[in-house]
Amino acid sequence: MPTENTLFVGKVLVQLPEVDSTNRYAQMLLAKNRPIEGTVISTFHQTQGQGQIGSTWESEPHQNLALSIILYPVFLPPHAAFALNMALSLAVRDFVAAHVPGPVRIKWPNDIYIGDRKTCGLLIQNTIAGNRWQTSVAGIGVNVNQCAFSPHVPNATSFALETGQSFELPPLLTALCHTVEQRYLSLKNSPTMHTFLPEYLQQLYRFGEVALFRRPNGQVFQGTITGLNLDGKLLMARPKGILEVFGIKEITFL
Amino acid sequence: MNFKEIQELIKLVGRSDLAEFKMKDGEFELSIRTKFYNAGRQQVVQTMAPAPATLPAPIASAPAPAPAPQAGNTEAAPAPKSAETAPKSDKKYLEIKSPIVGTFYRSSSPDKPAYVKVGDRVEAGNVVCIIEAMKLFNEIESEITGTIVKVMVDDAQPVEYDQVLFLLEA
Repeated sequence: MPTENTLFVGKVLVQLPEVDSTNRYAQMLLAKNRPIEGTVISTFHQTQGQGQIGSTWESEPHQNLALSIILYPVFLPPHAAFALNMALSLAVRDFVAAHVPGPVRIKWPNDIYIGDRKTCGLLIQNTIAGNRWQTSVAGIGVNVNQCAFSPHVPNATSFALETGQSFELPPLLTALCHTVEQRYLSLKNSPTMHTFLPEYLQQLYRFGEVALFRRPNGQVFQGTITGLNLDGKLLMARPKGILEVFGIKEITFL
Repeated sequence: MNFKEIQELIKLVGRSDLAEFKMKDGEFELSIRTKFYNAGRQQVVQTMAPAPATLPAPIASAPAPAPAPQAGNTEAAPAPKSAETAPKSDKKYLEIKSPIVGTFYRSSSPDKPAYVKVGDRVEAGNVVCIIEAMKLFNEIESEITGTIVKVMVDDAQPVEYDQVLFLLEA
C-alpha cells in the first residue's frame, strides 16, 4: 500500500497491524540493511510508543497515527541538526493545520499544539559518525480519533476533539507523507539553520508574547520568547533588557 | 579504594624514589606525582591494572628512577606535587569528540546498560553514546577502533561542540 502523490516519502510503506514502537522497528531495519530513503513504518496500534529518554507516548488502538520515516540527511552538517527539526515540525504543523481549524502552533522544540493542547509529538533519532550524518528516524505520533486521555496528560487533544468528527486514517497518513516530503526537499535544497527559521518562529507557540515559565528549581518567571540561537536553544527576553538562553531541560512552559 | 588506602599509598610513594605513580581499577584512576617529578626529565611511569584490593605490591618492583637525595622527612607523609584523576591531554590516546552541542547519555534509557565502559573494545561504527540536542536524539558512532581508557563526561551532563567524550588506546 504505497502512498500516492509523493516522490519518495512513503513510496515504501511498511504498514504493521501492531508494533511496540515504529521507531524501534525502523532502527531494527537500519541495523540489518539500508532501507530506501523515505521508507515509512506505520501502525494504527502502537503499544509502547517512545517519548523522550525514559518516557512513553500513549495511544489507544486504531484511533491514531504512529509512523516513523527513515531519512538520510547526509547533506546537513550535524551541528545544524536543529534545521531538520524545524523542517519536520513545520511539515507536521502544515498537515495538522490542513485538517483542523484554530491556531496550530509548534511548541518548542517539536510538539504540535492546537490552542493550548498537544495533538502531535515528534521523536527524532539520528546516527552520527564524526562529522558525518548517517541516518535519521523521524517518529511522529498524531492523536486523531482518540477522545479520552489518561489524567497524566491533561493537555492532550485530537483532531476529533477539535472538530467533532472522526477521520479515516490511511488518507491522513498519505497527506502527512506529502507535507514531510515537501519540507524535506526544501531543506535538501538549502541545508542551513536559516532556511526555516523565520517561518518556524512565526508558527512558534507563545512567540513574542509575555508568558509564564518555570525553571528546574521551581521558580516561576515572566518572559517573552524572541528567537532561537544556532543550536536551537530558546532566547527569552526578560525585564530590564536581559536576554536569557534556555536548553531543553532548563525551562517548562506554564 | 578508600581514603585510608589512598593515604597509605601516598605515604608509600612519597617514601620511594618514584617520580610518578599511576594506577587504574575499572573507572577509578589515581595519579601521584612526587617532588622528583619536575626534577629533570620525566622518569618512570608505572601503570598497573587491575589494582589489587589491598595495597599494591608492585610498587616494590617498580623500576627505580635515578636516585635523588631524599629528605629525611618522616613526621608527615610527603605531599605529592599534584594528584589528578585522569591524564588530561595525553597525546598517546585517541579521542572521540562531540559533533554537536547537547546532553551526553551513556545509555539509550536509564534502565539500560551503558553502550561502552572503560576496558571495552570499540570498533569503528559502534555506538558509544547518545547526545540529545533539543529533543533530537543522536547516537554517536565511533570512527576509530580501540579500547576505552577513560570516559571524560558524566552521564546526563551538557557537552560542547568538539568536546572530548572518550579516550581510547589503539
